[in-house]
Amino acid sequence: MDKGPFVCTGCALLCDDIAVELQDNRVTRVDTACRKGVSRMKGCVSPMPCTVDGKTVDENVAIREAARILKEARHPLVFGHGNSTLEAQQKAIELARKLGAHIDDTSSFCQGPLVEAILNNKIPTCTLDEVRHMADVIIFWGADPSHSHPRHLSMYSYFPRGKQRQRGWEEDRTAIIIDVRKSDTAVICGDKLYEIPVGADPDFMNALLNALSNKVPKTPFNMDPKRILELANILKKAEFGVVFAGLGMVYSLDSLDPLFSLMDKLNETSKFHLIPMVGQYNMRGFDHTLFRETGHINRVYFRGEEIEHGPQQSVIELISNDIIDAAMIIGSDPLASLPGPIAKKLAKIPLITIDPCENLTSRRSKVTIPSALSGVECDGTAIRMDGVEVVLKQIIETNKLTDEKIIARIMEEI
Amino acid sequence: MGFGQFLTEPEFKFIIVTHRDIFQNTAQESSRFSEQYAELSSVIRLDKDDMKKIGVKAGDSVIVKNASGRVVLKAESSILEQPHPGTAFMINGPWANALVAADTGGTGVPAFKNIEAVLSRSKEEKVTSLDELV
Amino acid sequence: MSNLMGIYQLLPKTNCKKCGKATCMAFAVDLLARKISIEDCPPLKEEKYLSGYEKLKELITPADNVTETGFLVHEDKCIGCGNCVVACPVNVVGDPEGTGSGRAPSNDKVILYIRDGIVRPVNIHECRRFGHNKTLCYACIDTCPTKAIEFV
Repeated sequence: MDKGPFVCTGCALLCDDIAVELQDNRVTRVDTACRKGVSRMKGCVSPMPCTVDGKTVDENVAIREAARILKEARHPLVFGHGNSTLEAQQKAIELARKLGAHIDDTSSFCQGPLVEAILNNKIPTCTLDEVRHMADVIIFWGADPSHSHPRHLSMYSYFPRGKQRQRGWEEDRTAIIIDVRKSDTAVICGDKLYEIPVGADPDFMNALLNALSNKVPKTPFNMDPKRILELANILKKAEFGVVFAGLGMVYSLDSLDPLFSLMDKLNETSKFHLIPMVGQYNMRGFDHTLFRETGHINRVYFRGEEIEHGPQQSVIELISNDIIDAAMIIGSDPLASLPGPIAKKLAKIPLITIDPCENLTSRRSKVTIPSALSGVECDGTAIRMDGVEVVLKQIIETNKLTDEKIIARIMEEI
Repeated sequence: MGFGQFLTEPEFKFIIVTHRDIFQNTAQESSRFSEQYAELSSVIRLDKDDMKKIGVKAGDSVIVKNASGRVVLKAESSILEQPHPGTAFMINGPWANALVAADTGGTGVPAFKNIEAVLSRSKEEKVTSLDELV
Repeated sequence: MSNLMGIYQLLPKTNCKKCGKATCMAFAVDLLARKISIEDCPPLKEEKYLSGYEKLKELITPADNVTETGFLVHEDKCIGCGNCVVACPVNVVGDPEGTGSGRAPSNDKVILYIRDGIVRPVNIHECRRFGHNKTLCYACIDTCPTKAIEFV
């Protein structure tokens, strides 16, 4: 067995310096991972059973039934993907193509717009390793990494010594946070918290744009213009700046135009990059894979030879408008994460869940197929929040099939 | 109690902002059905002055509803230094999601972090359970 | 959590020098660092300062389960983010390629590391708050997002 270090799949930071101790083929001790990562790597207490209509069956039966449901559906949806390896995502896209299905992932109501802008070269980006070695001005915007990506600041963005940042965070780096509240991350940023009202991100971007253009920065919420000018000055002097964009920012922007303008302006005087704070460990991987195959990162309908794409193909609109009549969910729990009224609708159609653990969706599914937990029970590759490919290693043995294998077997049955 | 008990409880308008929490996330990794996950996800944190105005104490049940749904939550006081009247905070999860509208104006992106709802005191009701939600 | 101004406010603030320090503020600084004890301030036991004495006794009393430097982790609050591990100057000097660069420890010279999602102290006598040349280092406290570390 591989001695490690291993990769944690608790979030899209994909920390690759994890050590473990095993007992009876279980992970019993985890070194260097954060609290959440440890919980992921030690495994859940409610593993998913293999069932059809609530009755325990063997894998072959469940796989055949899943294939039957998908084949008979007129508008099947293949959804999830953020917790699967690139290899499994590739297979899921293949399956959707073969079925003439709708395919979407969690980026549809998450970081999708930013990943898309980056893949279309509309926003300059960089890697986390570059951030560690070079970044001197770091902005957390609508993000609270202490809770979402706990090792973000210690591993890459603020505290580590880097090649060009040898003297430590107090002297070498400035961390700024823009948020609607003083989060736990904001506590660390001290007086560099810019507290704005809910949804005021475009207004603040606009004010910052004015300040960077030496105009008086006015905001509808009357933030002291002096403070905004101070911030603009820090940003102008940055050698290597990076904006970590969280969902707080993404959800506040009806259009990305204010962000594009701000990034352009920042890059007139200094170098600024943006990295989306992707949540699930391989959500960005799915977006890359689908983009390569179809030119779209999500929300795709394989209609015969045609590809349809757009908001009407989003998981939310598809369910809301009663389009889909069956769904296969891989490594996701939409009944927990979608708006209540949408979740209730989804629960009424035949569902197939593929996941290592039981969740709300699996308990309402016609077919449940347990899968190996990636990075622990199986290997594979994934794409980190900054677009870098990371190789996952297997730590323990399992009889469970991988997502990839399950999807491949379903395809064979179809 | 007298006359008061026959009156409906007054309703107060709030904007609910959702956010992540590592302790809830850790509980979820262990089990979506764990008690800790349910406890942390079903709390609504209110401004201290708002709590006085409404007449709720930390630990009281409150009814929070809008056109999308209705949930009974546990009210707790804000842990933020700055006052935030009219804004309440919740950890994201099925309880908060019950209040998120299906209508996205055609964008496909629901307003997860900017939920309008009304809140009122609850006399006897228990906090909504996970089973009641889905 | 005890802080300097909080402690100072509870002292007589007369700068009587009976403790051997020039000012009550200097006394507060040393008290916070546990270099001296509240018993070293004779006027504190006078009746008019007694309430301050009682409060300080609660504030300064060393708790159980703490290391010799008074390093205490509130395990229920720690999220295992490793900010303290990476910011700790002893770790940076002893393990520049590992913890100092944000990664897992690469040798046994570290005094803080993360195990099972919680920070653990080891070789704590190497902490800057320990020994003859001790200094009041705040690196692990200031960088903690959840205020999980305390020196008591």
